[in-house]
Amino acid sequence: METLVFTLPALFLVTMMMYIPFLMSGYYSLTEWNGIAKEPVFIGLANFRELFGSGSSFAGTIFFTLNYTLFFMVFSNIFALALAVALAKKFRGANVFRGLFFVPYIMSMTIVGFIWKFIFMKGFEKLFSLTGLGFLNLSWLGDPSLAFYSVAFVGVWQSLGFYVVLYIAGLKAIPEDILEAAVVDGATPMQKFFRITLPLLGPSVTTCIFMSLTNGLKVFDIILALTKGGPGKATYSTTMQIYQEAFTNNNYGLGSAEAILYFIFVLITTQLVLRIMSRREVDL
Amino acid sequence: MKKKVLSAILCAAMALSALTGCTSVAPAPAGAEASAEDAGSGDASADSGEIYMFISSPEYADAINTLIEEYKNVAPGVTINYETTQNDYPTLLKAKLNSGEVPDIFSSTSGKEIDTYLEYSYDLSGEPIMDTMDPAVASAMASTANGGTGCYGFAIKGNYFGVVYNKDIFEEAGITEFPETVSALADACEKIEAKGYKPFTTGFAEWWVFKHTYQSFVNAAADAAGISTAELVAKFEKGEAKVSDYPELYENYFAFLDNAVKYGDAKPLETDLSSEEAAFANGEAAMMLGQGAWVEADCLAINPDLKIGFAGYPVTEDAAECKVISGSDQALHVSKDSANLQTVLNFVNWWYTSDYGKAWFTEVAGVVPPIVSDAPSDFEVIKQGSALSAEKGSGALAICYSTDSWHQTCGQILQSYIAGTITKDEACKQIEEQWAAIDGAK
Repeated sequence: METLVFTLPALFLVTMMMYIPFLMSGYYSLTEWNGIAKEPVFIGLANFRELFGSGSSFAGTIFFTLNYTLFFMVFSNIFALALAVALAKKFRGANVFRGLFFVPYIMSMTIVGFIWKFIFMKGFEKLFSLTGLGFLNLSWLGDPSLAFYSVAFVGVWQSLGFYVVLYIAGLKAIPEDILEAAVVDGATPMQKFFRITLPLLGPSVTTCIFMSLTNGLKVFDIILALTKGGPGKATYSTTMQIYQEAFTNNNYGLGSAEAILYFIFVLITTQLVLRIMSRREVDL
Repeated sequence: MKKKVLSAILCAAMALSALTGCTSVAPAPAGAEASAEDAGSGDASADSGEIYMFISSPEYADAINTLIEEYKNVAPGVTINYETTQNDYPTLLKAKLNSGEVPDIFSSTSGKEIDTYLEYSYDLSGEPIMDTMDPAVASAMASTANGGTGCYGFAIKGNYFGVVYNKDIFEEAGITEFPETVSALADACEKIEAKGYKPFTTGFAEWWVFKHTYQSFVNAAADAAGISTAELVAKFEKGEAKVSDYPELYENYFAFLDNAVKYGDAKPLETDLSSEEAAFANGEAAMMLGQGAWVEADCLAINPDLKIGFAGYPVTEDAAECKVISGSDQALHVSKDSANLQTVLNFVNWWYTSDYGKAWFTEVAGVVPPIVSDAPSDFEVIKQGSALSAEKGSGALAICYSTDSWHQTCGQILQSYIAGTITKDEACKQIEEQWAAIDGAK
């Protein structure tokens, strides 16, 4: 009885905000509708057929999103783990540094995007004239091959603090006595890290990988603020493609179909990764 | 136990408040409808009720607030709720339309999008507003789905599109006349560059800059083929036309882009509107591409001493084709299902026909008037634009024959061309396919 009553408000809100809209977009994906007309026209699976057709740019955006996600997962986790190991030690100003790395995470993605846009465009120009370093004069947002790295770098930079905090919490939970025992047994610092710390961090790693995976797949605002998906379609993520199709191109039906397909894609990917990750965790 | 009861009550209260939150979308007051019928005479002073105005173009927010203040003297019983946004207006509008909260006055672009919102728009034909509306503006408000009839919108402003240039730099480079042909433009670029200035600043990071440049070339291509611009656009939409059949597009436009990149900004795809305005206003660049009347105030704010010149795009070797383009690229719609339609119409008619309303366009808003008017303007672009269109005629507002969805896609294709990821022929192929896919059929 209690469990039911307590979950009711949350259940109600989630139903209103998530499940019902989800079912509605399921229906819209079967219609041709521009988002404006009063009545959508039912067209069956034609939208899905169009997405699998040759002219669709949907596959290209999936490819970009996967690339981005991979880059984002690998680098945010490696850097966050390295920083966490450094910051988990007790030294003067440790808290200040933890705070510094966390600050970008509490800023809105859009603002971070605009700040970095300014740095890439004006800041680099000024730095180039001061230092003459060639890489500062590259068109980081205007060159299709560089724009990917700029966007991914800012994404990693922004969310690093979050993963650092998760890893620090994980590190603190590792019992000191095991590490001490290892030192007594003559383990080198490297061995200590790879044989004891890393395996015992398993749950944290799983959480962080999973979070970075979903955040990578959901990427939207940072790209919108930095490049708007440009130049050309060089940095178009799937979420942007769905948004563009549904709201800019006035193909709400087709956009919904893309969203449903992407939902299935994300569902499968995350389940696979979760399965693999939790199988590798060890217990004390 | 006490705690349990308390939390149960809290749960219930939260659930209830969530429920009421959803149902509190209040319908229009019952009295509004009755008063709309009463006011059928068109006498605004007897009007009462609310007008919900949700439009884009926040740059005119101050001017519109002044207009609304003034209207309070005319119709004290009317309250106008004015709301505006810069970002994502179409998305917000769609959310409102779908939730049944149709604004009494809302915006879209003119031309092709008139049909998109046809179901919601009131046909203004026969209203007094038509007496003063500029015919060029009115023609962009007709519905093509209804065979080019009706007038489903009105405009806050007319507009001029062309090359904005810095007269001082031209003088310093020894160019007395603005180059009106492609070869004269190339000469001018050489001379300007020799003086150490950047001939162009392009703003190619913005997709809409492209549509403002290629519309002149589309006009020239239509002229050369002996058809109207609308017919040419229709051919592309049906997938019947090829870019390579029209040298004005295939040769001249792509050469124009190549030149703009060669003589333009160091990082063309990173230059957005604000960088473009800065480069031009600070006297680094001689010509600004893809812009028009709206940048003048911004540039003068950066550099009040700027001597601004305005001309059409040199598109061919024929100087007669170098024309400015005028017209209105946006439209305000009156909702036909408005609860107090007559009140809204009275306001709109007053805006276009009263002495205050007519003077408002030039004196308060400082825009190209969308009405037949000979009021003088302080703005160089408007002055030179109207002089040029009187002298040489003005080109068709080709951008309004297509949707912004298409223009955005086309801008992205051309950005890829400039970035070098696709060749000219690949770009043309994509343009042909996407134009038909996005604007065709539907």
